[in-house]
Amino acid sequence: MNLWARFRSWTAAMLQRTRTEREMDDEMRFHIEAYAADLVGRGVPQHEALRQARQEFGWVEVTKEECRDAVGVSFVEILIQDVRHGVRTLMRTPVFTVITVVVLALGIGANTAIFSVVDAVLLRPLGYRDSGRLVTILMDGEDPVSAANYVDWRDQSRSFEAMGAADYWSPNLTGVDSPEHVAGLKVTQSLFPMLGIEPALGRLFVEGEDKEGADREVILSYRLWQRRFSGDRNVLGKPIVLDGDAYVVVGVMPQGFQFAPFWATHAELWVPNAFGARIHNRGGNSLRIFGRLKEGVSLTQARAEISGITEQLERQYPGTNRNVVVTPLKEKVVGPIETPLLVLLGAVAFVLLITCANVAHMLLALAATRQKEVAVRAALGARRVRIIRQFLTESLLLGGLGGAAGLCLAVLATRALIAMSPANIPRVQTVTIDPRAALFLFSATILTSIGFGLAPALQASSVNVNDTLKESGRGNSEGIRHNRLRSLLVISEFALAVILLIGAGLMIRTFAALQAVDAGFNPHNVISMVVSVAGSKEADPARRAVFYHQLIERVRSLPGVQAAGGINHLPLAGDLWGWPFVIEGRPKPRPGESPGGVYRMVTPGYFDAMRLPLIRGRDILEADSVTAPGVVIINERAAKEYWPGEDPIGKRISFDDDKANPPTWMTIIGVAKNAKQGDWAASPFPEVYLAAFQNHDFLGDSGSEAGGHSSYITLVARTTGDPAALAPAMKETAWSFDRNLAISEVVTMDGVVADANAQPRFEMRLLTIFAAVALVLATVGIYGVISYSASRKTHEIGVRMSLGATRADVLLLVLREGIWLALAGSVSGIAGALLLSRLMRKLLYGVQATDPATFAVVATGLGLVSMLACYIPARRAMRINPVAALRCD
Amino acid sequence: MDKQLDLLQGTLDMLILKAISLSPLHGYGILLRIQQISKERLEIQQGSLYPALYRLEHQGWIASEWGESENRRRARYYRLTAAGKRRLQSESKRWNEMTEVIAGILQATPEEL
Repeated sequence: MNLWARFRSWTAAMLQRTRTEREMDDEMRFHIEAYAADLVGRGVPQHEALRQARQEFGWVEVTKEECRDAVGVSFVEILIQDVRHGVRTLMRTPVFTVITVVVLALGIGANTAIFSVVDAVLLRPLGYRDSGRLVTILMDGEDPVSAANYVDWRDQSRSFEAMGAADYWSPNLTGVDSPEHVAGLKVTQSLFPMLGIEPALGRLFVEGEDKEGADREVILSYRLWQRRFSGDRNVLGKPIVLDGDAYVVVGVMPQGFQFAPFWATHAELWVPNAFGARIHNRGGNSLRIFGRLKEGVSLTQARAEISGITEQLERQYPGTNRNVVVTPLKEKVVGPIETPLLVLLGAVAFVLLITCANVAHMLLALAATRQKEVAVRAALGARRVRIIRQFLTESLLLGGLGGAAGLCLAVLATRALIAMSPANIPRVQTVTIDPRAALFLFSATILTSIGFGLAPALQASSVNVNDTLKESGRGNSEGIRHNRLRSLLVISEFALAVILLIGAGLMIRTFAALQAVDAGFNPHNVISMVVSVAGSKEADPARRAVFYHQLIERVRSLPGVQAAGGINHLPLAGDLWGWPFVIEGRPKPRPGESPGGVYRMVTPGYFDAMRLPLIRGRDILEADSVTAPGVVIINERAAKEYWPGEDPIGKRISFDDDKANPPTWMTIIGVAKNAKQGDWAASPFPEVYLAAFQNHDFLGDSGSEAGGHSSYITLVARTTGDPAALAPAMKETAWSFDRNLAISEVVTMDGVVADANAQPRFEMRLLTIFAAVALVLATVGIYGVISYSASRKTHEIGVRMSLGATRADVLLLVLREGIWLALAGSVSGIAGALLLSRLMRKLLYGVQATDPATFAVVATGLGLVSMLACYIPARRAMRINPVAALRCD
Repeated sequence: MDKQLDLLQGTLDMLILKAISLSPLHGYGILLRIQQISKERLEIQQGSLYPALYRLEHQGWIASEWGESENRRRARYYRLTAAGKRRLQSESKRWNEMTEVIAGILQATPEEL
């Protein structure tokens, strides 16, 4: 067979479709007219000749169809035909079409939005070269380690191509128009080459720059470069002032570069990390370690090697190398958010399934009214495949419209998601509707269309031509099978809705439980801000104490301020330092087992401002000055843990390490109520509040390195009115001392508490939205099925009523079907929820995954709603006039 | 008039090829020629001609162009291509062999066995 000719003919037909159509018409008309002319020649009358010619020729349209088939353009032809027919059909039922498109757009759009979040946050590799080989090495998988350990691991291991370490460092950027507290990292020289990212401008650190004396260089983030230096390329080689010291800008990282990815995520500058004397220190744990696995080395091998090295070091230096864990960097970044996001993805997929089921049974109902149309087509010779194809084209048309609307919706929804997402979701800012999300949307649209269109298409195409055409009125041919399919759809819709509602219910209970948690302090009407003295004249140890005193004093005298105080790190929002201490008179603990606690330094007035009650003893007072004996307040947990059955007040502890002799003892003067520290859901650790004005680190006159870490105070003020309104006055108060003071993290305590619960709130909101949509769809679904089946029963009801059935009997007849559907759906939904809710155990707080109350409330609530949905058609059925009903069929 | 014969399955293509091998014809002309040659003994459903024509053209055995009919009307004329000629030859040969074999079988007498 001549393939070329065939192809040519096909393309010609394709390209000249309209011409071909016209020629076909012309050709056949010529035939008929020529034949008619011949008939006239044979003596047949003119008008009779044409009729006879047409009749003998046969059905022109069928012939044309066969011709098209012969040439093989049929696929496109049929498609165009079907689309036209589909558009006409959809336009005949505008309400149905609009509702369906809206419902589909919601389902597909929501799925695409959540998928784009999952894709950006979970699926994409991190933005470093060959990021799959990057790992972190941390104690217990999360805690920092000491410099000496890092050096030992780096030098003794063979599994890693490179290793690097980073310290958190947030200096004050001064010498520019307004001072700013900037988050940054001190990194070893090896770190950037290991990530494999080139700077957008300038260079990375070179070998030797992480040695003391050569470390006054800085690499800026793109954002900082844009914000503070207006993207000026001449910034390279210029010095900038950080904490009062000059650093030369050597490079700018590319736009979108982020390091570190799981902690200090907002770092905007990087400086070399000169270990100095710290290189021999095994106690000060502040470094996060990163490594790149060598080609061909597995994670298991690297873990085995590191555990060998750390066991050896643990024997050598007890208490310094316990449970060191190698974690893939990606897992470290996305691990905590993985479960919540997958639960949300599952939930939104359920919504789409419900949407599918709903549209499917709307289409089924519609298909039933189109039986005649289908029967006529079948009688005219349309094959079953052809009819199925036509129905599926219609579904794809509906789905396509829904998908297109869904795309717009997804774009809006992702923006909303980014806006409402908790700050701790990594990479959420990079979420967009990109080609991958678009591909997802496209596939979802196709699958959805086939999903909801297949059953109606099969259903519609299986009509019995004779029966349908013979009937004069409404078809009664709808079989049990048909009804069973619709019932099955409603039951599964119901089951899915039950699962979603239970999920949402559990999340609501979780959130309620979290809201009921006692913070320990009263977060209402409290404002806080960090004032950093680094790089200003107040950093001078001789001035710092006076400045802090005066600052608090002036804030206290601002109108609307009830109480004010200061602390090193704000609970929940600020850093969390853990420090070991020794208790006077107790035997020396084994290494790594000494008592310890969260290390706070507070000024007088802090407990008042926070309304953090003291259970026993007294507050820290002005009298507890640098010359007075040292005092501390501990929390209840510390009292219970370290002085069980004893009165801790009057006992003495010391934070000095072994070398200090004699140790500086501090007397416990009070026990404070437990307050939330870092994690809202966690029970508080032991905590120790030192008197800030007795602390040399806080006052900057200790001469030790740690002094550089405490060159700031977190002001806390309790207000009579709206705390946020006080922020400008507080800032001005600080700046009235010195314009060079950097002020950052201006927050209300209510805001801090809300942020601490941002993730469960986010999960609860989304799940509740999904569940609400599911509830509406399932209700509409059951309403649709019941009212449809009630309307099919009009005749039956008429007969029953004329035979003496009461209205109550009729009500029951209709309701019974609804009850049965709702019951079956609820039971399977509860079974599904029992299986699935355990997957969200990690998201829950204060409630069991199989919480009977939630299950019961959902089941009863849904039952009532479905009763209501069925009652409407049932009441309609009850009012049927038996005479009219009998006459109508 | 003799009783008309129904066309044997698959023979229409061959008849069309033969009809236009003599001279190019339009669709109606093909129909007339077949009827004329067969002395009106073959019944061809008129419309069924066209799907066959389109198929043959699609297969490259015949080609068409628009021309003017006897009574000055625009009509589409079909002619045989080179491939069509070869096709007609092989089809005729096959048909003749087939009829010979079948005729032989049908004429068989007991003596020949």
